[in-house]
Amino acid sequence: MTERLDGRLARLLAALAAFALLVAACGGSSDDTDDAAPEDETEAAEAEEEAEDDDVAEAGEEAEGDVDTEIEESTGERVVGGEIAVGLEAELPGMRPWEDTCASSCYNIFVTIYDKLMESTETGEYEPWLLESITPNEDFTEWVGTLRSGVTFHNGVDLTAQSLVDMFAIQQTGSQSQSQIAASNLATVEATGDLEVTYGLSQPNSAFPAYLSRAQLGMVFEPGAAADGDAFNAAPVGTGPFVFESRDLDNETIVTKNADYWGTDSDGTQLPYLDKISFRPIPDEGTRLDATLSGTTQVAHTLRQNTIRDSRAERDGGAEITLFEFQGNNVGGGMFNVLVPPFDDIRVRKALVQLTPQDQVIEALGGTGISLPGTQWFSPDSPWYSEAAAAAWPQFDFEAGKALLEEYVNDPERSDGKAVGEKIEYELSCPPDPTLIAAMQVGFEVATSTELVDINLTNYDQQTHINYALGADNGFVGSHGAHCWRFSDDNDPSTSLNPAFAPPTAEIAAAAGIPDVVSPLNFANYFDGDIFQAAIGAIRTDNFDERYALYESISLKIAEDVPVWWSGHTATALITDDAVMGLVSWELPSGTLGQGMPNAEGRWHQVWLAG
Amino acid sequence: MARVLGTRLLRLVATLFAVTFLSFLMTALLPGDPAVAVLGVEGVQNEELLLEVREELGLNDPIPVRYVNWLGRAVTGDLGESYINRGVPVAQTIQERIPVTAQLAVMAIIIALVLAIPLGVLGAYKESRWPDTASSAFAQIALSVPNFITGIFLIWLFSVTLRWLPASNWNRLGNGVVDNLKTSIMPATALAMTQMAIFSRLVRSDMIATLQENFVLAAKAKGLTDRFILLRHALRPSSLSLMTILGINFGALLGGTVVIETLFAIPGLGFRLINAISQRDIMVIQGITVFIAVVYVVINTVVDLLYAAVDPRIRRS
Repeated sequence: MTERLDGRLARLLAALAAFALLVAACGGSSDDTDDAAPEDETEAAEAEEEAEDDDVAEAGEEAEGDVDTEIEESTGERVVGGEIAVGLEAELPGMRPWEDTCASSCYNIFVTIYDKLMESTETGEYEPWLLESITPNEDFTEWVGTLRSGVTFHNGVDLTAQSLVDMFAIQQTGSQSQSQIAASNLATVEATGDLEVTYGLSQPNSAFPAYLSRAQLGMVFEPGAAADGDAFNAAPVGTGPFVFESRDLDNETIVTKNADYWGTDSDGTQLPYLDKISFRPIPDEGTRLDATLSGTTQVAHTLRQNTIRDSRAERDGGAEITLFEFQGNNVGGGMFNVLVPPFDDIRVRKALVQLTPQDQVIEALGGTGISLPGTQWFSPDSPWYSEAAAAAWPQFDFEAGKALLEEYVNDPERSDGKAVGEKIEYELSCPPDPTLIAAMQVGFEVATSTELVDINLTNYDQQTHINYALGADNGFVGSHGAHCWRFSDDNDPSTSLNPAFAPPTAEIAAAAGIPDVVSPLNFANYFDGDIFQAAIGAIRTDNFDERYALYESISLKIAEDVPVWWSGHTATALITDDAVMGLVSWELPSGTLGQGMPNAEGRWHQVWLAG
Repeated sequence: MARVLGTRLLRLVATLFAVTFLSFLMTALLPGDPAVAVLGVEGVQNEELLLEVREELGLNDPIPVRYVNWLGRAVTGDLGESYINRGVPVAQTIQERIPVTAQLAVMAIIIALVLAIPLGVLGAYKESRWPDTASSAFAQIALSVPNFITGIFLIWLFSVTLRWLPASNWNRLGNGVVDNLKTSIMPATALAMTQMAIFSRLVRSDMIATLQENFVLAAKAKGLTDRFILLRHALRPSSLSLMTILGINFGALLGGTVVIETLFAIPGLGFRLINAISQRDIMVIQGITVFIAVVYVVINTVVDLLYAAVDPRIRRS
């Protein structure tokens, strides 16, 4: 326990030290950089040697640091009753799936109150949940779903196809659902029977079921109650396994067992097992873990690898906790604003990637032994992972990176308009997280040791950081240079990848002959016609091999043009008291094993407390 | 007295006007778009949606217009609605949070006083001897250690190691006094340590001066016990500075619990404020900032007025 206290104090000191380094870096003159150059070059050479030892992970293999908890059927005796408290990273903004932003903490609560129409399986496919079936037409512009019968909302209203039609009317007004309606190409929702609903799409979308597995379009709420949004926010009504009891904002949200829930386990026992769950936002990572170690809560939710490291140390030191770890596609790194010199030149982008020792960056981020190195949109565990793309991704190569920079710097036509031989200048910006600052410092040291670049390191709070990249004030071009970012998720690739590489501005869209397609979510402002066509092609077929080939071609093109760079994949975990069971063994109604706890999102309806 | 009161009230109004304007200006000029915070990054699929949300939030108006609109409503007690927790009035948020933060502040002051007065008196009574040195050292340590470090230590000791107290969150008084105390005692103690150090140093120095007064010598000559002299004769005149700083620090504590409330996940004003800042929930930031400023200014004005009432020299000046 003393180690934990020491660890937290050490982190505080580390944060101060990182801050001091940042100040030094920002305030350092070019003379300072010159003085440091020989040492840095030695470090760079050492880093290069280390990098050469790294192998490309093969698809599906367990790479070093990958400690995902295995999803498996439970053999333990399931106990009905009991209650748990879950410590979450953040409070959720609101309780309305169509209106309020919903991230990992939020999903933990929402899945107790709302059932989803579709759910993801162990293998990342989508199967019906509240729907019993869903079938597309030939060109994926129409999807006909049949609802489960006999399901009622918490207020006693029956769930029918008309409920989904009425929900759609509300979703069309909701700030969260609107964007997903547009992204999924959803145009109409019609009740074509008591329990049969037909979704009409404006464009083909073979990945449409993925949208029905997320909050904005997939979580089912009672439209009658939702007519008054504010009242609904105070007393949400779904069909889920738990009924909303109370919410004390920033303190506790309590849900209790839905005695009339439709779901049963494979033995026929009615779900959920637990009587009550209290969700508590505990923003401080250390306190959240301490709360579980002390028995204040039974589960701690985390998206931070430092907390995972501390938890592993506690577990190995004898604490009676279990770590349910999940590391999916979500990957850290950043993007170059390719509309801004010098990042409009591929040589600079590629050079800077080659000058970034990825393993050292991951170490600075605290991810060594936890976080897998990123090479593409997908992690080695993903069925979409491409070994070819991993091999194509530029590895750390100091000399090659420096040579590319020299080529650019000595190019009379260089895009930044500077004189031949003059150093390249750019801004590298990350949110003010101590580990990110330390990681920036790694890249800074190696790149500046070439004596060809001047880097302005900046840190802005999350909202400012996002806004600079979004650039709503300048036609979504943004005012960023090299910008830390996170990419990808564990949904169907199309949901995150397609908008990230669609035309970023109206001018680019018009030039590409697709004036109506503009995506503010293309933060790198990188557009390639082949990538766009491949992304569109991937939602016009449901053949996995065809889709895989298309996404692989995108990954290869990204590796070639490097509009982004990768650090490591995001490690997440639910840290539980040893008595908490069932997080990895929950099943869909078909009996298929579910996806476990992706991004530390638990499925609480099949969780129980061991006796 | 009426003139003093009138002058003070005029100053109060002017100060509040300046505070509200400056805090509105600062929050309005914060980089980061509240509309993006409302939509979430993934929600910004097109410009129209962003513009629509901005219009809905009134963000397209110039800052002076927004300020005048806000002030017009604020004087009637309407501080607007949260951008993020839609439909929740800011005034309601403050109303729900202030009992929590005020309780923490009151408990911190009480704990600080309970520790500080004996330490201060002891230090003065045993001036320059080891009890004085020890109490001074203790106060110095308490003053030097940031309250969140104290908080982390308390969690480690009383929650993780001894398992006596919950590590986080808040049991409201309505759930029972004992349950409430279990969640409030550690954060209040963490907050109290710095206050205790300040108070004990103040009591000590004032008490040393008092103990040199003639009336204390007279009391000693009468043969009264040291304990009686210290507690009955010397403590009260040595507490005037303490009373002043109590008022000021109580106001400061109302706005200064941010770190401790975040550390212990306590749903007070500070916790909400920090969440609102990260979410660019401008109405909440503005409402809470102004509320804290008003409380602070009012408390200081009341202290000034009490001074004037107690001391005729201040009144005349």
